[in-house]
Amino acid sequence: MSEQLVPVSEIQSTDDNVPRWGMAIDLDRCTGCEACVVACHVENNIPVATEDEAAMGRSSHWIRIDRYYEGTFPDIKVKYRPVLCQQCDDAPCEPVCPVYATYQNAEGLNVQVYNRCVGTRYCANNCPYQVRVFNWFDPEWPEPLELQLNPDVSVRPGGVMEKCTFCVQRIQRGKLDAQAEDRKVGDGDIQPACVQGCPAEAMAFGDLTDPESKVSQWAGVGRSTQLLGELGTKPKVFYLEKSD
Amino acid sequence: MLAAPRPRLSSSRLLAVSLSVVAGGLLWGQQQPIEFPHDKHVAAGVDCIDCHSGADVRSAATIPSINKCMLCHERLANEGPGVKLLIEFWNRKREVPWQRVYRFERAANVKFRHAPHIRAKIECSACHGNVAAMTVAQKAVEHTMGTCVSCHRQTQASDDCAVCHF
Ligand code: HEC
Ligand code: HEC
Ligand code: HEC
Ligand code: HEC
Ligand code: HEC
Repeated sequence: MSEQLVPVSEIQSTDDNVPRWGMAIDLDRCTGCEACVVACHVENNIPVATEDEAAMGRSSHWIRIDRYYEGTFPDIKVKYRPVLCQQCDDAPCEPVCPVYATYQNAEGLNVQVYNRCVGTRYCANNCPYQVRVFNWFDPEWPEPLELQLNPDVSVRPGGVMEKCTFCVQRIQRGKLDAQAEDRKVGDGDIQPACVQGCPAEAMAFGDLTDPESKVSQWAGVGRSTQLLGELGTKPKVFYLEKSD
Repeated sequence: MLAAPRPRLSSSRLLAVSLSVVAGGLLWGQQQPIEFPHDKHVAAGVDCIDCHSGADVRSAATIPSINKCMLCHERLANEGPGVKLLIEFWNRKREVPWQRVYRFERAANVKFRHAPHIRAKIECSACHGNVAAMTVAQKAVEHTMGTCVSCHRQTQASDDCAVCHF
């Protein structure tokens, strides 16, 4: 894998009070259990594809586990890597959208505005991580599962592109709760569903411009790398490579 | 729309869905099960937030449960036609099936939160008109993106798409 190309210490915000959200994932801790995938589906109203649809490549996940085998059986090592939107600072998906439905906001989130999207899929074609998913169908939940939809997140119609938002609804909730209690957002107050759901505590989320935050601490260690960082995408997800 | 119907969706299910959409459309914002007079209650000194108790703390303002109505109507002002209907629901242990007046279409992909607005001291009337004078709640203000964003620009609130669309 590639070395870390943009050290976390160089990630800056436009304004001191504006955070820049990022994530660090410790591959030593990841067991590939997919609890993050399930948590993400539940939190973000992501439909579950049928077997037939999955066979056609129509399943949608905002986070997936990539699996690598090294060696030959029985001497193999298995390596798991959760892959989600890397919230690139230089995101290849953004400039190719002809209708400005995807852009970088002040907090470094790569935002997808569903009702602006007309479904050209250029963004997904240009994403080196293949983390954008297109809604080929209007989503559907077999009764009574529609009752478990999360009211804080919209249900996206067919014909639009969607992807990981770093659980922007939780980021906003965290900021508004802090505002209501007249305090600052503390490190760890905001957790995306995948981070919260990880039983191995392999993921850290927070403000990359705060050197004291857990995510900055993790992202600053020697094992820290960025996926396909050599492409110059400046990802804000850091992977702590497996130590042998 | 690019979406194709899913093979597993049966035609009888489709029919049921479209019938309920039609029925919902007939009721939508037109006829309330009880004509609830906002004017009388506000004149009686009840505050908006006494009933819509989510408004200052949550996303949804919330419509009060029948339990709250009965705190008063169990004993007072229970001779009128509206409250008689209310008591019928109460005796059958049912909530009143209020019809929504304001609601974003699902396709608008908009999420609204009351609490930050009430904390910023914005009056209910800025977005709902003079409900205090209404004999039955009416849609007095259109909630378009323009309504939201023009005030946000004036008050220096955020106009980042991600604040409203997610
Ligand atoms: C900034 C504009 C704004 C202000 C101020 C505002 N509302 Fe609303 N209100 C809305 C919008 C928009 C909706 C529709 C929300 C939706 O469909 O998600 C709504 C919906 C409602 C509803 C029905 C749905 C729910 O949230 O339970 C009630 C009741 C309500 N408002 C009451 C109030 C009261 C009482 C106040 C004052 C304390 C108030 N609103 C202030 C914009 C506003
Ligand atoms: C704080 C006490 C109080 C609460 C709570 C209250 N009401 Fe009332 N209500 C009154 C009073 C007092 C009147 C009579 C006002 C008048 O006649 O001027 C009234 C009048 C009415 C009327 C008009 C008279 C009629 O029978 O047609 C209706 C309908 C009504 N209330 C329904 C409700 C419903 C529904 C709720 C719950 C959402 C509710 N009220 C909650 C005090 C209350
Ligand atoms: C006694 C309780 C009570 C009080 C006080 C009260 N409301 Fe309501 N409100 C209700 C009930 C019940 C409904 C649902 C029935 C309806 O829509 O007519 C409702 C509906 C509404 C709606 C329409 C919600 C929707 O989208 O369906 C708005 C807006 C609203 N109220 C605003 C206010 C404002 C503003 C005030 C203060 C001036 C206020 N209410 C005071 C009980 C109350
Ligand atoms: C009358 C003025 C006004 C209108 C109309 C209005 N807003 Fe706001 N909004 C504000 C103010 C003021 C704030 C508080 C900003 C703050 O606390 O920093 C706010 C805050 C918000 C927030 C929270 C912002 C954050 O940083 O998380 C959201 C979400 C929001 N508004 C959505 C909407 C939507 C959707 C509509 C249209 C239905 C709307 N607003 C209409 C004035 C308004
Ligand atoms: C303060 C809240 C707010 C912000 C910020 C906001 N929108 Fe909207 N937007 C809305 C609301 C509310 C609607 C739904 C209007 C309706 O249902 O009629 C909407 C509707 C839309 C629609 C559907 C077309 C229409 O006009 O109904 C598009 C497209 C859209 N928004 C794009 C954007 C983009 C792109 C941005 C960022 C540049 C953005 N919005 C920022 C509140 C907002």
